[in-house]
Amino acid sequence: MSRHCLQRLAATTSPRAQVLSAAIALSILAGCSVTSRMEPYKRTDAVISDGEQVVVLARKHHSTHETEAAFVDCVAGALASGSDGLEVHDTVAFEDQLYPWFEPSRAPLSTDELSELLDKPDVFERVQGTGVRFLVWLDGSTDRVASGGGITCAAGVGGAGCMGLAWWEDDARYDATVWDIQELDSTGTIYADVRGRSTLPAIVIPIPLIARPRAAACRGMTEQLRQFLTAPTSYLPGPELQ
Amino acid sequence: MESMETGNHLRLLRRCWVALACAAISGCSTSLVVNAIFPQPLVDPLPVRVGILFDEALSTYAHEEKIPQQASYSIQLGDANVSMLSQLFDSMFASTEPVVGLPLEMADQGRLDAVIKPELERFEFDVPIQRTDNFVEVWMQYQMRLYETDGQLIAEWPVTGYGKAEHGNRGAALNRAAVVAMREVGAEISTEFSAQPAVEYWLEEKQNESALSSEAGRNN
Repeated sequence: MSRHCLQRLAATTSPRAQVLSAAIALSILAGCSVTSRMEPYKRTDAVISDGEQVVVLARKHHSTHETEAAFVDCVAGALASGSDGLEVHDTVAFEDQLYPWFEPSRAPLSTDELSELLDKPDVFERVQGTGVRFLVWLDGSTDRVASGGGITCAAGVGGAGCMGLAWWEDDARYDATVWDIQELDSTGTIYADVRGRSTLPAIVIPIPLIARPRAAACRGMTEQLRQFLTAPTSYLPGPELQ
Repeated sequence: MESMETGNHLRLLRRCWVALACAAISGCSTSLVVNAIFPQPLVDPLPVRVGILFDEALSTYAHEEKIPQQASYSIQLGDANVSMLSQLFDSMFASTEPVVGLPLEMADQGRLDAVIKPELERFEFDVPIQRTDNFVEVWMQYQMRLYETDGQLIAEWPVTGYGKAEHGNRGAALNRAAVVAMREVGAEISTEFSAQPAVEYWLEEKQNESALSSEAGRNN
């Protein structure tokens, strides 16, 4: 992440400003950083087979937070992409096909409730018709946990400019709980906590050095989910700390 | 000279410019026609024939509100009301047909078992001003009334829906939040209709009537 920040810095400034900015950036590079922790826990050796699909859903029943639609799209899209992409059912289509049973107030909160739901007339047949075997419930959000510093800008007849340094820290905390519809059981959980500090130094012009913890959480979560759903025995836990 | 304190400077600056521009053009206004395609609920239809009464207040419902120091809003919900509720009732009952008033004509009373009339009683929303609030929220309350075909009230009960959407484009976020709230309303109506005590009793009576009439038919 530090190298990425330096490259971005070099690309966005003039040669003279680069020298100044690089000096400042070197002193703040520790701030433009991302730390992550992944904790996967798999209870069964269930894996996805050919013709079976997975759907990624967001938990929406909390009053305090809601998993961002962009994060759900990111995980679903990344799971489906690549040569080893999985068959991912469209989230909105799944919620519409099973309406009203996956609305925020009606969605099952446990596998027991899922079992009760599948006992209702036509629901199991409808789920089977979608081809979905695994439900991935995403919960969590990215929040600003700290910020500080300050920038002062001034404009006059001879020009304009800014001086100062601002920083902020975002924390992306998500967990993914995987349910196996075939076994009516929870397959396991992946927990991701990615914290990123962004800085905005300003020497004449502000140079944003942005850390993107949500994107990092999406990448990490997707990588773990892919292994989770495809590797029964060789499943390896993710890195503890980077 | 302008001084800023914390990290979100670029967004804050942009918002300031938008606010200034709005003030210059004598205030912002948002006009929104709530628009969505509502799915058919996956529920077992009840064995009753129901007339659907959408009055003008429901089918042309508009919410007007001016929020001081922010903007004025005009939110049209009429078409969305009709679209969502028609779809819902078509799936919930064995058969439905639109009716224009109560009581029904004597000739029509035999064709239907009851008439349902929804009313949107309250609509409230909240659009965040500060960046720390992430969601646009919508809360709405319908009053559902089920009548005998002669106009006698069988049951009435409130149904509420809450929806929120991430704050982005103001109109789009309001639309999403309203649609989420309406879907919640639809979810509650479709899953809890027969659980209303008075409705449950009425359904039992209807089932008994139909059992008696089929028995009488066999005896004749």
